[in-house]
Amino acid sequence: MEKIFTLVGFFEILLVLFMQWEVYTKKIVTTFSIASYTIAAFLFYIGIVENKYLVIILALITATVRGFFIPWFMKRSMVRDHWREREIRPTLSTAFSVLMSLFIVVFAYVLYRVTLYGSVQLSAGSIPIALILQGAFLMVSRRNAFIQLIGYMIMENAIFLFEGYLFPELPFIVEAGVVLDLIGIVAVSGIVVRMMKNSTSDLHESDELRG
Amino acid sequence: MAYVYTLPMIFSAFGALLCLVRKTYFEEIVSVVASLATIVAASVSAFLPNFSNTFLYIDGLSKTMLIVISIVYTSTVIFSTTYMKYMENPLFEKNFYYLLMNVFAFTMFFTVSVDGFGMMWIGVEATTVTSALLVATENNESAIEATWRYIVIVSSGLMISLLSNVFIYSSVHTLSFSTIVSMHITHADRILLLGTMMAVIGYGTKAGIFPMHTWLPDVHGKAPAPVSAIFSGVLLPVALYVVARVLQAVPVASLKEFSFVLGFLTVLVAATLMVVQKYYKRLFAYSTMENMGMALIGLSLGKYAFIGAVVLLTSHAFAKSSAFFLSGNILARYRSRKIDDVKGISKRMPFTGYTLMFSSMAVTGTPPFGTFVGEMMIIYGILKNFPLFYTLTLAAFLALAFISLNFKVGKMTFSETNGDLMERKRVGRSVPIINTALAFLVIFLIPQIEELLSKGMIK
Repeated sequence: MEKIFTLVGFFEILLVLFMQWEVYTKKIVTTFSIASYTIAAFLFYIGIVENKYLVIILALITATVRGFFIPWFMKRSMVRDHWREREIRPTLSTAFSVLMSLFIVVFAYVLYRVTLYGSVQLSAGSIPIALILQGAFLMVSRRNAFIQLIGYMIMENAIFLFEGYLFPELPFIVEAGVVLDLIGIVAVSGIVVRMMKNSTSDLHESDELRG
Repeated sequence: MAYVYTLPMIFSAFGALLCLVRKTYFEEIVSVVASLATIVAASVSAFLPNFSNTFLYIDGLSKTMLIVISIVYTSTVIFSTTYMKYMENPLFEKNFYYLLMNVFAFTMFFTVSVDGFGMMWIGVEATTVTSALLVATENNESAIEATWRYIVIVSSGLMISLLSNVFIYSSVHTLSFSTIVSMHITHADRILLLGTMMAVIGYGTKAGIFPMHTWLPDVHGKAPAPVSAIFSGVLLPVALYVVARVLQAVPVASLKEFSFVLGFLTVLVAATLMVVQKYYKRLFAYSTMENMGMALIGLSLGKYAFIGAVVLLTSHAFAKSSAFFLSGNILARYRSRKIDDVKGISKRMPFTGYTLMFSSMAVTGTPPFGTFVGEMMIIYGILKNFPLFYTLTLAAFLALAFISLNFKVGKMTFSETNGDLMERKRVGRSVPIINTALAFLVIFLIPQIEELLSKGMIK
């Protein structure tokens, strides 16, 4: 099982690295969808092997919500507003983003060995930490609201992967509640992002958002 | 009797559902009735014994929170009936505003009533989902920008608390608060300590605790007055409530010290930033941050300081909601959020001016308000546990916050002006007066609060 966890984790990191250098929002959303389907497949496998039907249900919810619904919802918004399709001016250059991402992977490994290794001994235990930090980095390094949202969901995916593998017996209602909350966050964010384009300008008032 | 404890949730959810009916003023009437019903239900629960099952956990702290939430929720709904008339280009129709407000109240009632940390996380995250659009009600660019910051920063913070749930579970193999308390943990292993510290940071984000507080002034500054009021009055305390539960479940020294340091830094940062504020709503937002810092210090110290923190949160909820309601009245008349643009409130809006002065004194811990007693109990706790230097430093920054806020509010209230009287006799004028009075009346209820916290019910 640990080998499969390592493989899935490594694949997730590769997908996030791809997202770091990609500027087309649609491709990033598709990549996120693939990452979510992969986690759902992994949870499904755990459910089958350990004979836990609630984990199987969770895998199905993950595939439906994270793999299908959220990416579909985002892409639909992009079709409606073409200006969201590409991030024209990323805050950081692509080369720097990739370098930072690689640094994050190494940093996560060191962090895991120093802090958690004594309590949770996994050969690939640093992967969820790396994914959480990668998600956070994607959020701060991009201006596009949808990509920031993807960064947030990468962090959540990482926690799902981590807890799904280590604690499949975690109360189902909690896990399902987390997924439901995610739908809410994405739906509300979708509305807010749409409003960003349509809102009346009051740039002089943006001064108030400082200090 | 379990159903009594779920009544506040049921009433607010029912109120939200009825808001879907499109009839003139129907949503306002329904919301006011539903919120008043939550006050009755929450007050009745104070006289009933504690209760817990696999889903609910109701003790004295939950009951106090239920009462405070229901009162601030009711005053917010009543105040909104006036305030919504001043909004020029609201984001959505009135019935949707009230629907969101009722669902938002439901999520807060839910958070303080459930047993598990996992469910508490869901409740706190749901408050973000239900309240985000309320922040953007005024429908302009800066309000929407503030809403986005709120979603991104708070959700990221809550991600940390979600991870904390995993760590706590991995250490004690349960997320049930009552089960963890029954373990009587006196020593936390590394992973439990890390998990609980992450919980303090994560939920602290929602409570405006340093260093994850940056969303707070933006949202309070740009949200409509009733939304700022309910955020400041009860949403932040609800997040602190979860921190209090973490501290009760794992009462180890290092976690308490960590929380104390965060609370201390929050007070220092907020008091310093209050000096340079040019906008009155942001000024009140930093004052909220300062009060949350003090409350966290009290929660971390336990015993009398814990009671002091609850008294402070209760009194602050009424006083600060009043201050934000009044800031809404001022904004509606003066059309500016800048302190320098607002002059002579006491002459042009006498009721608003004097109530604002009293409420700002209340939120800065002036006697005879409940905040003063709460802060004194917390300071007594610091004196007992730490060298005098800490108390003196904290007192100096509290004094700085007191001077900054009251000087600026005093300038707005008592400065000279040639303008005419422009106050209107509306319900929006009375609600803040009642809430400021409640902030004072809390001092007479301190024995009952203590009884609730120690025995779980008022006999």
